Amino acid sequence: MASFLPDLEPGPEMSPEFERKKRRKTEGNPSSFHPTQGNRRIKQWRTQREQRIYASNLIETLRRSPTATGNYARDMAYRLLAVSAKGRTRWSRAILLGRLAAGAKMRKHKRAKVGANRKLRKPVSNRQKRKMPAVERKLMALGRLVPGCRKLPLANLLEETSDYIAALEMQVRAMTAISEFLASGGAQPPAGRLVNS
Amino acid sequence: MSSRGLRSRQSSGVSRIRDDQITDLVSKLQLLIPQIRRGRSHKVSASKVLQETCNYIRSLHREVEDLSHRLSELLASTDIDNDQAAIIRSLL
Repeated sequence: MASFLPDLEPGPEMSPEFERKKRRKTEGNPSSFHPTQGNRRIKQWRTQREQRIYASNLIETLRRSPTATGNYARDMAYRLLAVSAKGRTRWSRAILLGRLAAGAKMRKHKRAKVGANRKLRKPVSNRQKRKMPAVERKLMALGRLVPGCRKLPLANLLEETSDYIAALEMQVRAMTAISEFLASGGAQPPAGRLVNS
Repeated sequence: MSSRGLRSRQSSGVSRIRDDQITDLVSKLQLLIPQIRRGRSHKVSASKVLQETCNYIRSLHREVEDLSHRLSELLASTDIDNDQAAIIRSLL
């Protein structure tokens, strides 16, 4: 069992698999996605192992601030997810940068984001319809949804979206599993622990 | 190149060049979205796929939001010590 337990610090730094991934990280530009590498990364999000590592990191992080709010939990959840991506994707780097450069930078982005949304919505609906085809509009909407991908060219947007969706799905699975476990009274008193082991 | 085309030009001339890129992107995205994958196989418009993708991502965001609040509530009410955390890890 000891081999399964990751280190208490966030970030799965333990396994030989991580060493392999570390080597892969240095090869090639992260922005030049090859389909095979992208697929490999997406498959990684769907492994039990990845989910387990993420879930345990999340538990450890949240356990240390038991009085934290839901918003704190959500921020930590996204941050840990971005960390799990190991800097290989644009969305993950954007999340980490967004959290680190707290205050001024984030607020500036948020204001710009809201402003951009408003500008885009009104002209299309109220004034004479600007001829932006639906597809282009939706591409922009997608670019806004995936962190850090607003100005991304088409092919990269696809890769980022695929990876982002796979990561989000894993996040939901992991958090659902944790909450179901906790809700069912998983944190047993010591007597329960003996039964389990 | 294409990003500049997206932003500034809206003439059909530019969009014709990127049409096949869009179709390619859309066909790949289709495979990711559970709803579309389950339903029809081909013949889903680009606009629809993009819309479904956006909806799907938004719904995932909402789920994470709800789960975060739920988790914080659960963790606040149950006090977990080191051993119990280890058990949770092993059972997940």
